[in-house]
Amino acid sequence: MTATTPWSPNSFTPAHPSYFKVKLTTWAITWGVILLVTLIPGVLLLAGVSTPLWLAIGAPVLALVIALLILRILRRQVLALGYLEREEDFIVRSGVMWRKQVVIPYGRMQYVEVNSGPLERRFGLCQLTLNTAGAGATAHVYGLPAEQGQALRERLVSAGEEKML
Amino acid sequence: MSNNDTWQRVHPASPFVHGWLAIVGLLYIYWQNTDELSFAERFAGDRLLWTLGLAGAALLVVLVFYFLSWYFTRYKLTESHVYVNSGTLFRSQKQARIDKVQGIDIAQPLVARLLGLAELRFDVADSSESVLRLAFLSKADAHALRQLILERANSGTPSEARVLTDPAAPNQTDPNPATLPLMAKVPIGRLLASLFLQLPIVIGTLACLTMVILWLTGVQGIIAGVLPVLLSFGSWFYKQLNQGWNYTASAMDTGMRISYGLADTRQHSIPAGRVQAICVTAPLLWRLVGWYKVEVNVLGTKNDDADNFQVLPVGDFESVTRIMGILLPDLGVINQREVLATAVSTGYEHGFIGSPSRAKSLSPGAWKHQGFLVTDTTVISRYGWLARTATFVPHSRVQGLEFSQGPWEQKRKLAGVRLFCAGGNIIGHLHQVDAQIAAEFTLAQATRQVER
Repeated sequence: MTATTPWSPNSFTPAHPSYFKVKLTTWAITWGVILLVTLIPGVLLLAGVSTPLWLAIGAPVLALVIALLILRILRRQVLALGYLEREEDFIVRSGVMWRKQVVIPYGRMQYVEVNSGPLERRFGLCQLTLNTAGAGATAHVYGLPAEQGQALRERLVSAGEEKML
Repeated sequence: MSNNDTWQRVHPASPFVHGWLAIVGLLYIYWQNTDELSFAERFAGDRLLWTLGLAGAALLVVLVFYFLSWYFTRYKLTESHVYVNSGTLFRSQKQARIDKVQGIDIAQPLVARLLGLAELRFDVADSSESVLRLAFLSKADAHALRQLILERANSGTPSEARVLTDPAAPNQTDPNPATLPLMAKVPIGRLLASLFLQLPIVIGTLACLTMVILWLTGVQGIIAGVLPVLLSFGSWFYKQLNQGWNYTASAMDTGMRISYGLADTRQHSIPAGRVQAICVTAPLLWRLVGWYKVEVNVLGTKNDDADNFQVLPVGDFESVTRIMGILLPDLGVINQREVLATAVSTGYEHGFIGSPSRAKSLSPGAWKHQGFLVTDTTVISRYGWLARTATFVPHSRVQGLEFSQGPWEQKRKLAGVRLFCAGGNIIGHLHQVDAQIAAEFTLAQATRQVER
């Protein structure tokens, strides 16, 4: 891999493997609903309402193709997630197509949130959000096991108090 | 302003300035309901009695409300705090610690200006939400009170959040703009010219004209669609005009002070210590005449809309240099002026690193302009195609860094870095530089921004 990034992908703590299941379920629900909507023209056609044929066939096919393309990179997307705790700052990485590494110094941190949705709770996961005074400077850590998330939050808060500028 | 430790009331005309719309509303209702009557009928016989009686009653009600509102609005200045109490039914009591007051602005809405009144707005460091307002005082009182509070803020014990004053010159917070050195002034002709040299305004004006002509030549129904567009464009245009009208910027010990306004006059003080990022923009047509606009991210100024805070609506390079000299006195280079000249134009002198030529296919218009320079104190980045932008972000103001690489950038070994700041929308953006350089910059910047 010749990719040039500030920090090597290997040095990050990856997301928990079962976060893939969360993403997969979300993907299935989202694209299931979209597929159902795109099937409406076909149903109308079968019911005898005049509907253009290309719409009845094209829309579900297009939805299916996009859904499968996303499914293909879903696992890589989860593998691309990770966080890194350093002496003075906290780094998160994400993205396969759109690669990102966000650096937040502990001293600029304003508050840390730990959230978990119903799906994440089922797999014992949570997500952590780190906020600063800057609108764009927000770090999201996904797919953290619940107790690890709490521990990370404690560490971040104490590091923030220590390094306060 | 003698004994300030007792409660004082605001100017008796203040409820009228707050509530003049109510009177206009009552008059309008009266007019609507007596539309069919002639003047002679209105004031004759029985009707005269009724009219006078009802008008008197309405006036009394309004006056009672005004009186109550005035009676319950009080303020007090102590050695350490400013208190403002207001509200008749729902009382509110607000206070601000004087040593946390970061700046005091004087605002004059239209009606207040006609009556010679002014409103004081306090920016307070420890309250994140609304600013404390004191409305209305006579203009002289407002200036005197502002001066008094600034003096008290200076004489108090220094606190860590204080950037209001320069410790070297504690007694020189003269609020009178006339005595301060003038930094920039925008003549009305230049303001109008600058407005009509902006593409959105040119396009908007042309579109409005076209629609009005279409409407006049008898295209029916178009007015329903046109009116909202006309109104929103008009209000946006008015805002631009208002922000630059009669614009003056002057230097203070601690930063700068600006005043502007067409209908209502505004004054803001901008302490240099609260400026988070600076952005110098040259829209397409302004480049022909060498004009720039300067905007800042500044903490504590409540911005009601998405626009950035303007510190110079339009000005030449000289004005930009003067303003930058105040807001960012230490650019971290020796030849500040020359570096600034390169920053607001195109070129790779003084160590600017640009986009490599393989960025050409991604940004055909902008790749030559894109670039960045890291100095001892600041990151300067340039980007933009039609409107060319240069942003200045001091290392100590960076809230977070984002290294990012899209699919097309990955293929060309390019990458971008964003530097996020507080207090506004301005960000530093290294756009489409060599991936290796961007990665090294991110590593180095991560260390630089936490140095104390």
